[in-house]
Amino acid sequence: MERLIYFIRRALRNMRQCLFLCSVAIGTTAVALTMVAFFAIVVLNVQQLTAHWSRQVEIVAYLDTVPDAKALQALQEKILGLQEVENVEYTTREQAFNQFKTRLGNDADLLGGVDADILPASFDIALKPPFRNQAGVDTVVNRLRNEVGLKDLKFGREWLEKFESFVALLKLGGAVIGGFLLFAALFIVSNTIRLTQYARRDELEVMGLVGATSMFIKTPFLIEGAIQGGLGGVIAITGSFILFRLFLHEGLSSLLLASGSGAIVFLPLSFQGMLLGAGVFLGLFGSLMSLRKLVRV
Amino acid sequence: MIQIYNVSKAYRKDSAALSDLNLKIPKGDFVYITGPSGAGKSTLLKLLYAAEKPSRGQILINGQNITRMSGGRIPELRRHMGIVFQDFKLLNSRTIFENVAFPLEVQGKKRFEVSKKVFQTLKLVGLEHKLQCLPLELSGGEQQRVAVARALVVDPLVLIADEPTGNLDPDVTLDIMDLFKGANARGSTVLLATHDREMIRRFPRRVITLENGRLVDDRTP
Repeated sequence: MERLIYFIRRALRNMRQCLFLCSVAIGTTAVALTMVAFFAIVVLNVQQLTAHWSRQVEIVAYLDTVPDAKALQALQEKILGLQEVENVEYTTREQAFNQFKTRLGNDADLLGGVDADILPASFDIALKPPFRNQAGVDTVVNRLRNEVGLKDLKFGREWLEKFESFVALLKLGGAVIGGFLLFAALFIVSNTIRLTQYARRDELEVMGLVGATSMFIKTPFLIEGAIQGGLGGVIAITGSFILFRLFLHEGLSSLLLASGSGAIVFLPLSFQGMLLGAGVFLGLFGSLMSLRKLVRV
Repeated sequence: MIQIYNVSKAYRKDSAALSDLNLKIPKGDFVYITGPSGAGKSTLLKLLYAAEKPSRGQILINGQNITRMSGGRIPELRRHMGIVFQDFKLLNSRTIFENVAFPLEVQGKKRFEVSKKVFQTLKLVGLEHKLQCLPLELSGGEQQRVAVARALVVDPLVLIADEPTGNLDPDVTLDIMDLFKGANARGSTVLLATHDREMIRRFPRRVITLENGRLVDDRTP
């Protein structure tokens, strides 16, 4: 324990004595992680948007004739019994007619003299999240046709295809850009720390010459790297929050509100913890890599 | 006692920095290692503090074969040595006190013990009033005295100095030589690489002369 306190004290003293180099390492980590955080905020909110849109993936089953209440109940239960189905809502002819009238707005008088019977009753079938895709819809449509006996089904195939392509593109783009940003952060931070430690190679050499063990030399530098990375992480969280408020909040808010999918969100606490952990890891990793080359006792 | 048997060192295949060297240096001896540039003086010292391994041969220090020593045991060997360089190798971001204290911290000595010993050693080299200065605030001679203090603070069994007065003017050279003589009088074996003939003439001791990596002369006045 005494040794650990000594190492921490030495790491802090090193940071104080090499304030410029230390600031460079912290700054680089902060900038690299801010980019990652900023990207994560965008991805998170776009994911929220697509999740909202995916709720619109549903199947409408029209009924040619309206069965009696008991048969209707049985039919509804049969649909609900399908494992892919999350919810079923029944719309009577009158409800459909009223909805249509509401949608027509000022032109509703066009329906004057028209009876509610012109529109069919229907079931709005919502799917569970894993089945809100083309394959899921196809499965449910087949089962509704073959197992439940419903024939007149509508499910917006074209929209679904476009939506799936968009989500796939988003996932691929997210993975590529996110992976690139993480790799760039790792590369930049580890090289910056390597440079700061290279500038102190004389110190490492002297330590070896006066009989310091490899562990004695490396431990304070590793602690220093972890502290620098952690501080970089904290600055990145703060920085990305400020950037989020300044630039993203307005733009994304209007987009999300317009689509009705709720308010824009900042990184949740778990993400912030991961960002901090990533900073500590980058600091440790960068230090370890450079020490492997510089310390040869 | 330092024993060197058939030691050769080659950095490249076609040229040897040291060739088939045999030497015995008794405990408490004071030895100059001299010769022209490129004779192998620094290489010999590097082999002694295990910064390099010989290509061939054996080196024993106090009965321990350091050529067969694992990397993990080298720090222990160096803790009983003091090493002084021509370019001082001080940590410029640390105070004089911290520089001299460092070898003791490495050994895990208590803070009180460290402070006491550092102060005593700095007093020995006449720099006890510059404890809180940084190395670059001192003259070249003073910096070398700090480097000597750092070497002496551990009461070394072997004191190795590689051209320690190469950058210093004659008056300062005398001060530094007094410090080495004092360490030798307290029991340290001193090996001092130099090509300063005037210094050897003024402080006559055993002189080992190397040329092209070979021992060409070994005489004691």
